[in-house]
Amino acid sequence: MTAMTHDRAVLPRPTLANRLHSLLDMPAGAILLVFVVVQLGCIAAGLLFPDDFRYLSSANMGIMMRSVPVLGCLALGAGVLMIAGEFDLSIGSVYTFTAIIMAMLVGMGVDAFLAAPVGLMIGAAIGLLNGALTLRFNLPSFIVTLGGLLFWRGAVLLINGAVQVRFDPNPVFNELFSGTLFGINAAFIWFIVLCLVFWAMLHRHKFGNHVFATGGNRQAATAIGVNTNRIKLLAFAIAGFMAAFAGILATTRVGSVQPGQGAGLELQAIAACVIGGLSLRGGRGSILGVFLGVMLIFTITDVLLLMRAPGFYLDMFIATLIVVASIFNHGLDRRGASL
Amino acid sequence: MSLLALHNINKTFGPLKALTDLSFEVGHSEVVGLLGDNGAGKSTTVNMLSGIHRPSSGYISVDGKKQDFANRRDSAEAGIETIYQNTALVDCLSISRNIFLGRELTTRFGFLDLKQMRDIAMQVLESAVHISGIDSPDKLVGDLSGGQKQAVAIARAVFFKRRVLLLDEPTSALSVRETEALLHQVLKLKAEGVSSVLVTHNLYHAYQVCDRFVIMSHGTKVFDVAKADTTIEELTQHVVLT
Repeated sequence: MTAMTHDRAVLPRPTLANRLHSLLDMPAGAILLVFVVVQLGCIAAGLLFPDDFRYLSSANMGIMMRSVPVLGCLALGAGVLMIAGEFDLSIGSVYTFTAIIMAMLVGMGVDAFLAAPVGLMIGAAIGLLNGALTLRFNLPSFIVTLGGLLFWRGAVLLINGAVQVRFDPNPVFNELFSGTLFGINAAFIWFIVLCLVFWAMLHRHKFGNHVFATGGNRQAATAIGVNTNRIKLLAFAIAGFMAAFAGILATTRVGSVQPGQGAGLELQAIAACVIGGLSLRGGRGSILGVFLGVMLIFTITDVLLLMRAPGFYLDMFIATLIVVASIFNHGLDRRGASL
Repeated sequence: MSLLALHNINKTFGPLKALTDLSFEVGHSEVVGLLGDNGAGKSTTVNMLSGIHRPSSGYISVDGKKQDFANRRDSAEAGIETIYQNTALVDCLSISRNIFLGRELTTRFGFLDLKQMRDIAMQVLESAVHISGIDSPDKLVGDLSGGQKQAVAIARAVFFKRRVLLLDEPTSALSVRETEALLHQVLKLKAEGVSSVLVTHNLYHAYQVCDRFVIMSHGTKVFDVAKADTTIEELTQHVVLT
């Protein structure tokens, strides 16, 4: 009986084609393959032309590690919500709004270790509000959070005006969020740790099972006794919370908040999720996919910058990547949460 | 004493009267066919038994004890499992995750005990529900056929020791062979002491397995008869003419 169940894994000879096939069968397999190929290409080019293509230089690595975590954290939150079957377009505005609040509090003399949790709570509360409006009035979250995007963007200007806010926290706080540990950027370590936490939560915890069920087939999940409203509310709160967390990372790194800094980030976060194989209809995706989606966006951005390509190539390249990725994922739409 | 009983149930949705003074019983190890044309009130009855609707008046009892199902969980705790037309399964989750959905086996802090879930799922699929083509509990439910999906839903009911299965139009999406397998499964479960209510308008399927028939029309019971005392012609008459 046990032998029967494992036959499947034993029978096909592990030829290269078979291995490739089983890799592509994994929920994030295709994107993993693309990512590895791109990385190998970059490393090879970096070794061959160390002077023209400084991919492996420590300066470049440092830039990568500092830029990835902000979008990465936004995408983790947006990803969980997308798997639960909803969107949040307001995360870019929430990211700025909570960062401004935090910076203003610190400016007024509040300790950063107190101001940061306040920002996180506000982020989660705005997420809950989005969720409550969406669920209570049975609206598409696209519309509700489009409202949120504009509302919180306006709120930033209302409470602060169009000027930048300096953020000058105590040194311990600074070290914790933008220092380095063994040469690795602290923000990047936060991102990796959060990826692991989200992976455990989504793929190994009861909550994740309910998130996939809610996004995959809400009626069935409800019928079986999953409180899908509660799951969606929590997912909204997580998206808002992670937006605020991304705000902390960005603000600590730069030392100030620009009122316009979050514009467009929500779409980039959704783009990273789509590239990583999350379905816009919910129920499908993986944290590995989100991670790779974010990394791929930044690798490609980085490569274009290193090749001194003009900025518009960047948008065009990412746009192509999104469409190609979704065509590909659409073909594989049967893959789910087995990871 | 009957296992499950409905006592003088009325149900209104605003001005619409969906059920009128409906009473019937399901005995231990009994398969009851709940028959009737479209709009007879069968689905409302099923929804009430599975805790989705509450009766406007009257009540449901299990083992003679009056029940008040506020939601699906209450009904499941009383031992009733509903297997829907488009079975309540999530396509993008594996079989074992589906079987334990909402009742996951967890270690500390709510983390899933994936190994135990897989082992039990495989055991149930092999011992309780025989259906061909399922060789791994890690298969995604979306890759299964209609009959296999229902087998998974039944496996879930069996594992959680349900005493009454409500099968709502279970055969409408199945192939002939899968239908045979399902009906056989109902009889097998009956032999193990699990009662079933088969809601269908396919009289032939019902006649194959049911011990008793309850025919509904316009929200109330018009005929209640044991198989031994009737014929398929008589049943057809009652479904069509009332």
